[in-house]
Amino acid sequence: MLGPNSRLPATLALIGSILGLLFASYSTMDYAEHLDRGLHDVHCSFIPGAPPTSEAEACRAAMYSPYSALFREAMWGGVPISLFALGAFAFLGGFALYLLLANDRASGKAVVFFAAVSVTPLLVSLLMLTLSLTKLGHLCKTCVGIYISSFLLASGGFMGLFTLRGDVGRPRHGLLFPIAWLFALGVITLIPAGVYAASVPDHRPYLTKCGELKQPKMTAGSPLKIHGTRAVRQVLFFEDPLCPTCRAFHDRLLGEGVFERLDVDLVLFPLDNECNWMLDSALHPGACIVSKAVLCGGDRVRQVLEWSYEEQVYLTRAGKAGANVLRAAIKQRWGDELLRCVDDRKTDVLLNQHLHYASDNGIPVSTPQMYLGTRRVCDEDTDLGLRFALSQLAPEVLK
Amino acid sequence: MNPASAQPTPGGAPAGSGLAGWIGASGVVVLLLSVTVGVRLWVSSAADRLEHPATEKPKVAIADQAEVSYCTPRFKEVLERVLHSCGLAQDETRRGCKPADVKTFASISDADFNELFTPLKDRGAVILFDEGMQDLDEGAKKLLEDKWYQRKGARYFFVVARASKSGNQSKNRALSHRRANSVMYHLTSIANDPEIEKKVGLLWLGNEFAQLSKEYCGWPSSRTNEKCDEEAINRSAFVSWVDCRL
Repeated sequence: MLGPNSRLPATLALIGSILGLLFASYSTMDYAEHLDRGLHDVHCSFIPGAPPTSEAEACRAAMYSPYSALFREAMWGGVPISLFALGAFAFLGGFALYLLLANDRASGKAVVFFAAVSVTPLLVSLLMLTLSLTKLGHLCKTCVGIYISSFLLASGGFMGLFTLRGDVGRPRHGLLFPIAWLFALGVITLIPAGVYAASVPDHRPYLTKCGELKQPKMTAGSPLKIHGTRAVRQVLFFEDPLCPTCRAFHDRLLGEGVFERLDVDLVLFPLDNECNWMLDSALHPGACIVSKAVLCGGDRVRQVLEWSYEEQVYLTRAGKAGANVLRAAIKQRWGDELLRCVDDRKTDVLLNQHLHYASDNGIPVSTPQMYLGTRRVCDEDTDLGLRFALSQLAPEVLK
Repeated sequence: MNPASAQPTPGGAPAGSGLAGWIGASGVVVLLLSVTVGVRLWVSSAADRLEHPATEKPKVAIADQAEVSYCTPRFKEVLERVLHSCGLAQDETRRGCKPADVKTFASISDADFNELFTPLKDRGAVILFDEGMQDLDEGAKKLLEDKWYQRKGARYFFVVARASKSGNQSKNRALSHRRANSVMYHLTSIANDPEIEKKVGLLWLGNEFAQLSKEYCGWPSSRTNEKCDEEAINRSAFVSWVDCRL
């Protein structure tokens, strides 16, 4: 049982606040670093201070997700929510320090106020945890660090209530104090976000500097068509069905509600040297066969493409095991007829036409690539800057 | 904002509460200042890198046609001349190259011309014809289709037609021309490609230039069971995709 002069609750809350501040700092730092439109390693560890790493797909996916920032249409990348955490943890850390030092001389209102507001980071953490599990399908370690910190903080705040038992002659605050503290918490929570928003560079001049298609129309063969249910804008994608970045991009478009607003011309660009002469070795073994399955999709092109994304891990493993394993997987899901089409020489020719369209246009050997009209949308504008780029280049798809 | 500026209790404020409040408030200010300055520095540093990139972005490979080892500078030189002179370059109206053209534009001896094509042994094939004829038999059509569909990253498909040494020069020139056209006609019928004329280069050499020696009997051909000699191998059209960038 906690006595009125126990320092444990405030200590716990202070530790939670400092840890939360550290994790939120790393998250913000990673976000801000990408404002130079480069690709950087990100911090993704339960250990505060662990160096950034390129093996941080879950943290990167969380960063690129629509849930990591606010006002993404108004500003490139938006305002990361970790900034609000920075402000909140700074305030709560200072308040916990006060409670720790004042101990049983802190007023009851201060202890109750702290218990009430210390739960807010935990509530936000629970919301983000739910979104991570239900929408993203994985957990980012830095985010988990913030969740744990929030839990410690809330636990400290809640435990502090037990120290109020028994009258130890605590000072009394008027009602204005909690109101003023709440106001201070609000202002302090907003300050880092305000500073960030005021200093973010203008990305508009960079949006149109990533090249154009030399030959907008395919002369031999044609791209695959995927019509969004509320399509308002034609767009061209170069994609590889076994490319994880393409899958993440597709998920992002779906998550942002953008995909249904697009009338997609899909050109397959498998990064597999079995059919793609532009590579010395296969980046995604089996991608040629899966691309042919997509080509053979007929009116189920979208379903086959989305199947290849959903089953990407399994199909990639099958691709490494050999063509027959992959063909069996295709047959099992889509049947004999589609497999016969995959094995048809005409499908080889169609795929070859897609690859030649890429080489005729001299596009970068990378996927995914998005073109609005003839203009290439820069890679960095297909992830962190997606909503901002679309708001500038194709605002109709965001309506 | 001082969290401990409390109204004193009737018995007076416990000593040290005010100090704790000041320290707590100072803690908030210090933490807030630190994160705010940090945020400002991170963003301005990124903005600076955006405006003045310190290093060039890593170069990404650019999609292009295939290029393999036989594309020597000499090979490309001849290829380019032939392409420009035989109607494959943009906006050309004429189609194909007759022996005189090849001799003039290629500026190369018969032996050197054939030598250039030697590395294409596995990529290409020899389509054989009956004497004095230009019709493709079933074996020829099948082989031609096989070779056509093995395009991969190549941009140009070459058809080099010849005629045997019997008969006069003009007759053989015309015969080799018909053989080249026969190949082209079949390709057009199977390819369904509106740009085929920009891809296929036709050369007909009659019996005047770059005749094949008996050694070429060992190359993949449409008539593997027939007797092959120097006479037979020149009743032919050599076909191949060429994996060179120009």
